[in-house]
Amino acid sequence: MAEAGRRHRVLVVEDEDNIAIALDYLITREGYDHDRVANGAEALARIRDTHPDLVLLDVMLPEVSGYDICQNVRLDPTLADVKILMMTARGSAVERRKGLALGADGFISKPFELKELRQEVRRLLGDGA
Amino acid sequence: MTGPFARFGLRIRVALIFAGLAAGVLAMLGFGLWAGWHRLGMAGAADGFVQGGLIAGFAALGLIVWVWLLFDRNVARPAEALAASLRARAHAGAGGDIDTKPGRYLGDLAPAAAAAAARLAETQTALAEAVARETTRLADENQRLEALLSDVAAGVLLVSGQHLLVFYNGAAADLLGAAPGLDRSLFDYLHEGPIRHAQERLISAGEAEAVSDILCTTVAGARVLSARMRLLGDPGAVQPGYVLTFRDITADLAADAEREALLTETLDRLRRPAAALAAILGVLPEGEPLPPMMEAALRDEVRALSADVTDLARRHEARHGAGWIGTARASDLVEGIAARLMAAGLTAEADAAPLILRCNGFEVIALLGRLGHALADAGFARAFRVVLTDDGAGATLHLAWQGAPLPIGQLDRWLDEGIDRGLPGITGRAVLTAHATDLWPEATVHGQTLCLPLPVQRHAGPRPAPIARAVVYDFDLLSRMSGAGVADTRLADLTAVVFDTETTGLLPDQGDEIVQIAAIRIVNGRYAAGEVFDTLVNPARPIPARSSAVHGITDAMVAAAPPIAIAGRDFHRFAQGAVLVAHNAPFDMAFLRRHEPAIGAPFDHPVLDTVLLSAVVFGQSAEHSLDALTHRLGITIPEEARHTAIGDARATAEAFLRLIPMLDARGFSTFGQVLAEVRRHGRLLKDLN
Repeated sequence: MAEAGRRHRVLVVEDEDNIAIALDYLITREGYDHDRVANGAEALARIRDTHPDLVLLDVMLPEVSGYDICQNVRLDPTLADVKILMMTARGSAVERRKGLALGADGFISKPFELKELRQEVRRLLGDGA
Repeated sequence: MTGPFARFGLRIRVALIFAGLAAGVLAMLGFGLWAGWHRLGMAGAADGFVQGGLIAGFAALGLIVWVWLLFDRNVARPAEALAASLRARAHAGAGGDIDTKPGRYLGDLAPAAAAAAARLAETQTALAEAVARETTRLADENQRLEALLSDVAAGVLLVSGQHLLVFYNGAAADLLGAAPGLDRSLFDYLHEGPIRHAQERLISAGEAEAVSDILCTTVAGARVLSARMRLLGDPGAVQPGYVLTFRDITADLAADAEREALLTETLDRLRRPAAALAAILGVLPEGEPLPPMMEAALRDEVRALSADVTDLARRHEARHGAGWIGTARASDLVEGIAARLMAAGLTAEADAAPLILRCNGFEVIALLGRLGHALADAGFARAFRVVLTDDGAGATLHLAWQGAPLPIGQLDRWLDEGIDRGLPGITGRAVLTAHATDLWPEATVHGQTLCLPLPVQRHAGPRPAPIARAVVYDFDLLSRMSGAGVADTRLADLTAVVFDTETTGLLPDQGDEIVQIAAIRIVNGRYAAGEVFDTLVNPARPIPARSSAVHGITDAMVAAAPPIAIAGRDFHRFAQGAVLVAHNAPFDMAFLRRHEPAIGAPFDHPVLDTVLLSAVVFGQSAEHSLDALTHRLGITIPEEARHTAIGDARATAEAFLRLIPMLDARGFSTFGQVLAEVRRHGRLLKDLN
């Protein structure tokens, strides 16, 4: 939860530019601050630096996988309040289970409906549906 | 004995000798009287000579007939019986003492024969004991070999150069879809084209080690089999036999077809929205606001595309998960992994829910074993727990340890490596993909664990009793002379189906019907293991109580049995290519032949009747009932088996096998020779052969 008067910060970790554009647009429209990194190697450092309220984390990333980032975030107690919403192209039950087991707070499959994504983001940020 | 009289029995030959003697005496008497009358030269004395001649002639004839009767009763008939008894002991292995009482006029011949028979029995017993010891040893070896071959998952067939079955294992019997039988044509079970072509290819290749991979289909059920053929023996032989190993790939082909269909559908469903999007984007006015109609069209197409991709991906995943990759018992799996870890000096405990899992057990054991070793080498742990839990919808295999958590990046690198030296090129990732699953480290309150979800086949009950999957073979079929017709085939080489029927009565022409058919297949003078036919038949009429009292079959027992049209067709298929053998064959054949139109196949097999074979061996005057014949041949029929179709078929088969060497000793070696002799005995109905 953001401090009173501060807008929620959302970090998008996504290597597909067009999807990132759509996500940036949605986040801005929802009134959140947004930021983006395009590869897994930079993502963990950016999360530590900016301490976002929510990370929209793609699973399939170059260099370091989304699962790897998720596990490392959860192993860092200083990042315990960072919410993670994982996104995957396959969306199988096993992938969902793996993501949640590694500490993700939510899981959404691509291609996703923006309405569904908006609801999930609001839920995780405590803004209601 | 040779000469024109050789084909007659002893009694007839003796009768002919006495007839010749009588004719000679009468001729000499007549000639003497005529010479006396001629010398006397008195015409009036002729009546006296004729009268004296008739009296002397009748007296001489009466005396000769009386002596012949005495000779036949006291010498010829006992000698013939003695010969039959000796033959039964010499050739059919019959036991017991020879009855010397009827041969008391043969002097020392009967006691001498009894002594010779006793000595023969002693020798035979000693020989039988030695043979039994060696047979037991060979049987033990055979049993071990059969157990090995019966457990081979692939179907294995050995086939003679004439495409007749010589060997088949249980898997082959299952895959061929119809109960196979030795000495039957392979083409009764598999379509012949690919097999003939493969045989020709291998023969023309002329290399002993050459193999040919073929696809063939079963005649029944249209299964598709992937088979490998290898020639037996010298590939330069005119028509060498071959080994055929095969597995069912019907499911593989169906899966391929399904995958192809899904791919085609995917392309079809994606092509349309892709084309529509390309068309809309192609005409989109740059730098201007999007016209509302085009925006709506774009939204529609993107929504449709998104829905199609989601649906196709879901179906692809469901199809992938349903593929057959084998099954493994959960306890075997965890114990196998623990054993691999312990073999490397690590500590491991195993615990598993009672489940049967759908997975390739060997690959999963290799993967988890490899990861356990990697964890130990990297210093994470040296003691593990291998646990398989039931999650309701599926199961999860845990490799658990106390210690530091495993970074997933490290795990990913291990998964990119090979899992076992014996499985080159197979990485952990490939195993996970093949099983449509994933693997990850997880921290729990009990420590660290690697989690691997696996699909469950079913809950495991107690291990079921193993299914008998016998191998059936007769390798002598490989060396049997080819091309010989039935008439030229030695009796010992015949493929015969010995059968018996039980009926509602004795009169097929007056509506009596078959209620049971049983048969045993004999190949090369031996029972073909497991090739037994035994079925009740619904006669579509009540079974009289007096018949039920004989064979024990009641109306209630046949209520659910197949009608003769079906049972007869099955029996016809069972007897295909064989000589039919029955005791009093015309009786059984009359019942079967009445139903040939309904069965849809003629019973035009060559037929042998053990009644007539008995007459050839023991003479017409002996009794030829099945009880008398089996008693004479030293065969015991258990009382409970008597008057059952299978019991009587077994007894007839045993008698047939014992009659073969006796017929052989009499010079009737081939089916044709036996048939000619049997016809001479006159009781074989002309419609049988």
